[in-house]
Amino acid sequence: MKKKLLSLALAGTMVAGMLTGCGNKNTPSQPSQPQQSSAPEVSSQTPEVSNDDIIANLIANTNGTVQLTVWASEEDQEFTLGRIEDFKAQYSDVDFDITLGAKSESKAKDDILVDVEAAPDVFAFADDQIMELVAAGALQEVAATYTFDVKTANVAGSIEAATIDGKLYAYPMTADNGYFMFYDASVFTEDDVKSMDAMIEAAKKANKKIAMNVSDGWYIYSLFKGAGYDLTLNDDGTNSCTWNAAGATDVAQGILDLFATGVFVDMTDADQATAISAGTICACVNGTWRAETAQTAWGENYAATKLPTFTVAGQQKQMSSFSGYKLIGVNPHSKFVGWSMILAEYLTNEETQVARYEARGLGPANLAAAASDAVQNDPAISALAAQAAYATPQRVGNQYWVPAQTLGQILASGNSDGTDLQTLLDNAVDGITAPAQ
Amino acid sequence: MKAEKDQKSENKIKKAAFGNALAKGDIWVKLSTVIMGAGYFARKQFVNGILMTAVQIGFILLVVLFGVPSLSKFDTLGDVQMEQTFDPLTLQSTMNDYDNSFMILLTSVITLFFIFVFILIWIWNIKLVYQLQLKKERGEHINTFREDMRALVNDRFHITLLALPTVGVVLMNIIPILVLIAVAFTNYDQKHMPPSSLFTWVGFDNFKNLFTNSITISFGYAFRKILGWTLLWAVLATVTTFIGGILLAKLINNATTKWPAFWRTLFVIAIAVPQFVTLLLVRNFFANAGIVNTICSNIGVTGFLQNIGLVNPRLTYIPFLTDPNWAKAMIILINIWVGVPYQMLIATGVLMNIPTDQIESARLDGANKFQIFCKITMPYVLFIQGPALITDFVKNINNFNVIYLLTQDVFITSDQLLANSNAKEVDLLVTWLFRLTNEYYNYKMASVIGIIVFIICAVFTLLSFSRMIAGGREEEYR
Repeated sequence: MKKKLLSLALAGTMVAGMLTGCGNKNTPSQPSQPQQSSAPEVSSQTPEVSNDDIIANLIANTNGTVQLTVWASEEDQEFTLGRIEDFKAQYSDVDFDITLGAKSESKAKDDILVDVEAAPDVFAFADDQIMELVAAGALQEVAATYTFDVKTANVAGSIEAATIDGKLYAYPMTADNGYFMFYDASVFTEDDVKSMDAMIEAAKKANKKIAMNVSDGWYIYSLFKGAGYDLTLNDDGTNSCTWNAAGATDVAQGILDLFATGVFVDMTDADQATAISAGTICACVNGTWRAETAQTAWGENYAATKLPTFTVAGQQKQMSSFSGYKLIGVNPHSKFVGWSMILAEYLTNEETQVARYEARGLGPANLAAAASDAVQNDPAISALAAQAAYATPQRVGNQYWVPAQTLGQILASGNSDGTDLQTLLDNAVDGITAPAQ
Repeated sequence: MKAEKDQKSENKIKKAAFGNALAKGDIWVKLSTVIMGAGYFARKQFVNGILMTAVQIGFILLVVLFGVPSLSKFDTLGDVQMEQTFDPLTLQSTMNDYDNSFMILLTSVITLFFIFVFILIWIWNIKLVYQLQLKKERGEHINTFREDMRALVNDRFHITLLALPTVGVVLMNIIPILVLIAVAFTNYDQKHMPPSSLFTWVGFDNFKNLFTNSITISFGYAFRKILGWTLLWAVLATVTTFIGGILLAKLINNATTKWPAFWRTLFVIAIAVPQFVTLLLVRNFFANAGIVNTICSNIGVTGFLQNIGLVNPRLTYIPFLTDPNWAKAMIILINIWVGVPYQMLIATGVLMNIPTDQIESARLDGANKFQIFCKITMPYVLFIQGPALITDFVKNINNFNVIYLLTQDVFITSDQLLANSNAKEVDLLVTWLFRLTNEYYNYKMASVIGIIVFIICAVFTLLSFSRMIAGGREEEYR
């Protein structure tokens, strides 16, 4: 008897569970509709209630300690800690308990994606991770701003990099994560650095090399995109790629020609650092993180500029690049989303960006901060700004990297198997556009 | 005489089958199918009865509160996508009551496992209760709770000893393995990452992908290439370090070698340095711009190798870790260097125990040193170390450290089909698996490869163990 009762009870709960399961099935589609349409309404309402009132209201409604975890890079710890103290002082009515963790911006997603619910409330990350973070639901949409207007205060490219499907998902922090050309001004004139051919001539005379890590998807993009062959991301996370379209073999041949000179060499960032110090290379395509090495090695002759043009089937093509920004994001699973957003705003406002440039030499994304003389006169940062006109945000699906790396490796080693260039590009595009397994 | 009789009746009771117990049991045994403690109460084993009933109630609560909500969604692994609404005016955000596919999978697997275990306990319990009934009928002594407890530290001590390890194995091994196996049949990858998206069952699709080879999915090609290299590597790595270890041990133990303890210590120091430190350092030594290349190009080795065609004349360095063939050879050489000291220590121990009478008599019969080594030493060492060799072989199939640390960030494949599956020529199944999960969040394919690696290792281990140890080979050798 008892057994029957038990099974009845079990069956009852199962049915109930299934009912709730079924009942919920309809709910997601319903609220998503009005939610989207209501979003503009709310933002149009915002001007009626002033932002100060909203923050005052938030302060009034905050009871107890606001516990937040913040991630910044190892090098940014001291600076960020100082800014957090200032933040606490500004909102002294609220009891904050803010923990600062160290995590490189380039590795942020590795840990966040493992368990989004346990990830920090506020974190810095490089903009190339934004799609995966948004897909994993790890970024709170910046639906409204409270202390300053993020969209107009920062350089357009950074906002573009922080926007997915028309929605802003992060706060631009720095605009210094792209690549450009470092060179030794004792080898090249300002005219030389306009085209790769002239640079190779000059370097040959000086018996030195020009380095670019072509066997890396991040850099090889520069050449194909520069020649007009596109790589774009589809909604489902796969890539569209035209690198095997008509005429693309000319680009591959152009790259082979560069390497055939023996002056243009494929080197990793670490090898470039050694080679700059050793004096074997006199120019390299790299980013602000190598500025110090180059400055130490070349002293007064240290210079930087946008990427040069290179020859594709007799024509000069301007090399493109990935623009790179560091952003600050807020975790939607945070218990204190409101305070996280206000802290994220604080860590990316004009004052903080100016201070960050002064303390750490990182190029600001904030327009007013970037307009200062100090920033304008920084060779690396102004080179990056000049390259910005030819740069595109990094919107690439995960399947791109390894096939592109291998394509670069084959071209850099002179296509020693003699594979037909069209086959080479077809294979690479097959891999790049493959659906994620 | 009486003891013998007891033993016999005990055996009879043990053999009491479940069906038998249920059919021949009295009302209390039958009641035990519903209330598990009933049979004990009837025999006045109150503590046992309470404990059993508590286990049953605990189980039911667990299933109802914890299992049923998950199991009810087990067929689809959840259907409520995460939705979040943010109110810009109050700065508050709310989440809907979303389904987390992974939690559903995990709790369902745990619940199913507990249900399975509970059924076993339930059957075992009925048999036990029936035994109690038989004992009572025969007028035998029925243990009190205290006596049962005492038995656990005396004649049934093995059960007490094994309880903790068993719980550990279940929690640490069995449940994770079951979850891993389940993931292999889902589409859990970067596009379906909980909590923000759901994943669901896809049947055998992932297994099909592993063995198919279309233009876009080159997994089958990559799998075959990597499997081939994994097996070749495992054989070479095991054999080279094994033979190297024996030769080194023989050399050090040789009567003409001076200061054997010193040499042995020197090699043991190599073990004392953490392996990953050694490997990372070695990787830098052999880098394209590393110290070994600088030396080689200065003394003309690079040029010589280019002349005999071993190095591409376009290169200014020897591609130790960047060319597939060079890298494979280097990996095996470096592994010999890292692995031989261990094998030397083991071989030293084994060599010291070779029965000297056999060697003595062989020498008297006129066998030379080489013959003695081949006919007596090697068979002996092989016999003793056989099982250890198989373990080494399986360990090498999964030798993550050497391969990953030596080639990660250094080796770039020039095989486009491999690249399209995120694989490299030098990858073992396990390093491929690691990068698939760690860099591409491709949990479903990683699970499939995990299962395959497990099957390969299991087959090799079983085959070789049964061949080496089974069939009374021990006596044969003696």
